Amino acid sequence: MSGKSTIYAFLGVGLLTTLLFVVMPVIFSISLSFYRMESFVGVPEWVGLQNYVSVLSDFEFWRALASGTIYAVLSIVLQLVLGIGLALILNQSFVGRGLVRGVSILPYLLPTVIVVLTFKWMVDGSVGIITELLDSFGLPDVRWFETPSAAMMSNVLVSVWMWTPFVTTCFLAGLQTVPDSLYEAARVDGTNAWQRFIHVTLPMLKPILTVVILLRGIWMFNKFDVIWLMTKGGPLGSTENLAVMSYRRAFAQFDVGGGAAVATLSFLILSFAIFLYFRAFPLETD
Amino acid sequence: MPKSTVKKFLLSLVGLAIVVYSAFPIYWMVVSSVRPPESLLSEVSLIPSVFTLEYYRNLLELTDYPKHFANSVIVAGSTVVITMILAVMIAYAVARYRVRGKKAIVVAMLYAYMFPPLLVAIPLYALFIKIGLGDSLISLVAAHLTLTLPLGVWFLWGFFRNLPFQIEEAAMVDGCTRLGAFIRVVLPLSVPGLITVAVFSFLLSWTDYTFAVIMISSDVNKTIPVGLASMIGSFDLRWGEVMAGSTLIAAPLLIVFTFLSKYFIQGLGAGAVKG
Repeated sequence: MSGKSTIYAFLGVGLLTTLLFVVMPVIFSISLSFYRMESFVGVPEWVGLQNYVSVLSDFEFWRALASGTIYAVLSIVLQLVLGIGLALILNQSFVGRGLVRGVSILPYLLPTVIVVLTFKWMVDGSVGIITELLDSFGLPDVRWFETPSAAMMSNVLVSVWMWTPFVTTCFLAGLQTVPDSLYEAARVDGTNAWQRFIHVTLPMLKPILTVVILLRGIWMFNKFDVIWLMTKGGPLGSTENLAVMSYRRAFAQFDVGGGAAVATLSFLILSFAIFLYFRAFPLETD
Repeated sequence: MPKSTVKKFLLSLVGLAIVVYSAFPIYWMVVSSVRPPESLLSEVSLIPSVFTLEYYRNLLELTDYPKHFANSVIVAGSTVVITMILAVMIAYAVARYRVRGKKAIVVAMLYAYMFPPLLVAIPLYALFIKIGLGDSLISLVAAHLTLTLPLGVWFLWGFFRNLPFQIEEAAMVDGCTRLGAFIRVVLPLSVPGLITVAVFSFLLSWTDYTFAVIMISSDVNKTIPVGLASMIGSFDLRWGEVMAGSTLIAAPLLIVFTFLSKYFIQGLGAGAVKG
């Protein structure tokens, strides 16, 4: 095989795969949102924009958008604060640092299912370890899943535990690229640790933070498994986000077109948010 | 004591707190899976005094868990192999092909990164039902590829771009064909990148719940995350068995991580996000 044909063969595979796994599903999904389909085997019936009209006039859509946004923002902010804090600590030198660094990543490795099941076991009403611990301190029982705000906080708590290591690892890698001389110079100028963090560390790590916030934002906004496994969107739909709503419509209420419409709208909203984000924080390209 | 010793001591204490925070739930999961029923449901002590393998035996003999485990191995294995082959070819072509428009592939892959899962899962599910392969392991592998391919192409593209073209030229001058140079010179030099992609593809596929719960409906085709999650929905909550099942899913991940943590951290730093 000549040089050119190898490259062309590779490129052909690339184009075909991209079409098959990326372009086609999305086009198909968007086109489904213009049809009424009551099951996945039924014959679709063209209804134009009717699915969108019905979704957008549905109170549940706006509630899901709001509670999904609250969930995403809360868990991203907490992941960032905790992740940066941990990275700053793990960047100091102390006995056993290597071990602590390794162990601190473990939550990120675990499947969501395991984390949620273990959390539910730990807060189990009769014999959960956290329940017993709160009891022994004489604290009142926490109803983890029964009120809308408690359920939301439980979802956020589990998400922060699982995904903070991503922020920690990226920030820690960035910290190691900041030259010591910058800190020395700042120290000579009589700054304290907090001022050095604000005026040296943060500006140096801004490119990394921009990407980390973007990636975490996309994934927390699209999150399905945590919410579905923890609360199924309840109580009374209060923790349902757009991903859960889209799933419920397509697979529980057999409204495939409606589910596709919710997924499409969710994608449009996210794209718009990312567009605004890039306007505010342009990526530095090399 | 000098000030710096006090500081180091305090830092080690904080480090210990971080270890407890990160590892205690994992420890508790393992401990709960070997604690006999009487003590599991009554006493709360941090270290169990009696051990049992009863839950593991129940899980392996009385439930579909072994079948689900095998399904997970098949799905994750196929996903890793197919991802590696396709991602290597695509990333290499995009990194070396000198024509505008090739960027379309990379941009499309980046876009795929931000698709809501349902935007991909609804049409894939509909499509596989139409061609008679609904509720099959193949359909789940296809769904996982929509996650792992963007990641693999994106990561390897960066990797191949940083390899100077001269190394292939030198091999071709020595009589290799382009394909020969690629296989004999480029691939061996890319082993660290390939391992990173394999680790992340495995992680994504092995831990996935979202696509598995959508694409698979029959009990025989479930992967372990879905099989385990359905145990908790049942009337009779058996925490011992649930924790034993969780431990068995986590074990391969913890083993892989112990040996390959370097590649894992490298991938994280390059934006290889899982979940």
